Amino acid sequence: MRPELTRLQRIEQHLLGPAPTAEAAAAWQLEQLLDPALAADAAVQQQLYQGLQLAGRQQLRRELQAIHRQLYGPPTGGWLRGAAGELRALLRRFRR
Amino acid sequence: MTTDLIPPPAPPADRAAALRAALLTDRPGTLTGLYRRTFPMVERHVRRHGGSGQDAQDVFQDALIVLYEKAVAGTLTLTAAPSTFLVAISRNLWRRELQRRRQLPHTELSPAQAEELPDAEAPAEAASVLDYLAQLGERCQSILLSFYYHRQPLEQIAATHDYGSVRSATVQKFKCLERLRQAVRTAWAGTADLLAR
Repeated sequence: MRPELTRLQRIEQHLLGPAPTAEAAAAWQLEQLLDPALAADAAVQQQLYQGLQLAGRQQLRRELQAIHRQLYGPPTGGWLRGAAGELRALLRRFRR
Repeated sequence: MTTDLIPPPAPPADRAAALRAALLTDRPGTLTGLYRRTFPMVERHVRRHGGSGQDAQDVFQDALIVLYEKAVAGTLTLTAAPSTFLVAISRNLWRRELQRRRQLPHTELSPAQAEELPDAEAPAEAASVLDYLAQLGERCQSILLSFYYHRQPLEQIAATHDYGSVRSATVQKFKCLERLRQAVRTAWAGTADLLAR
């Protein structure tokens, strides 16, 4: 992998990996000294993961709404029923 | 002996693992099954306790999202069937919602207003990530959400996205993450410049 991608992987391991041992935490501290941008980049990456969590939740919500429609049909009393009512009223007037 | 024919109840860890496996292999089918079995019970409860069909749908879907996220993350403990767990969370959520409405009468939002609201738990930066994710293209979106939200193993992601190996799927995943990061950083840097002026 390119060094940029390896760096993303390293930050991911720090943010999402198993709880760090004392040794791993010390290594991360040392890396931060050597690489001053590391903490800021890790903060950005953390925001990306939060954004992905949010996006995933929205996708799942859409899937659940589709399942609901598939099982129980579109909501009753909505625009479709209203439109059908108006159409019937219009036809009645037209017939007179 | 007839008792030999009845399987012993599965231990909690096995139940949760079975649910996780089912969600990973067939998400639509598994969710549809849970929905069909459980929603009528929740709807009955919510309607009996002063709610509408839409209220029932909202709390049930919130509960299903809680169950789903815990199950795929492997942090779920099921001491009963998933549907029992879902009914319990839904009842809890509906009780909380009723309390909220009692404390704040006449402040109910219309569905259109509610749609406009950002997700209450979402920090503004995370919400802006959504827009950049939408611009990434379907393949990257799918890989990122499959891995980070749906917690699919990389083997599965490699297979469904036609990568020859876990290694190439991993590389692709980081390329997609890099593209998302670049889009977001450019946007944030622009905002910071504007603020500094």
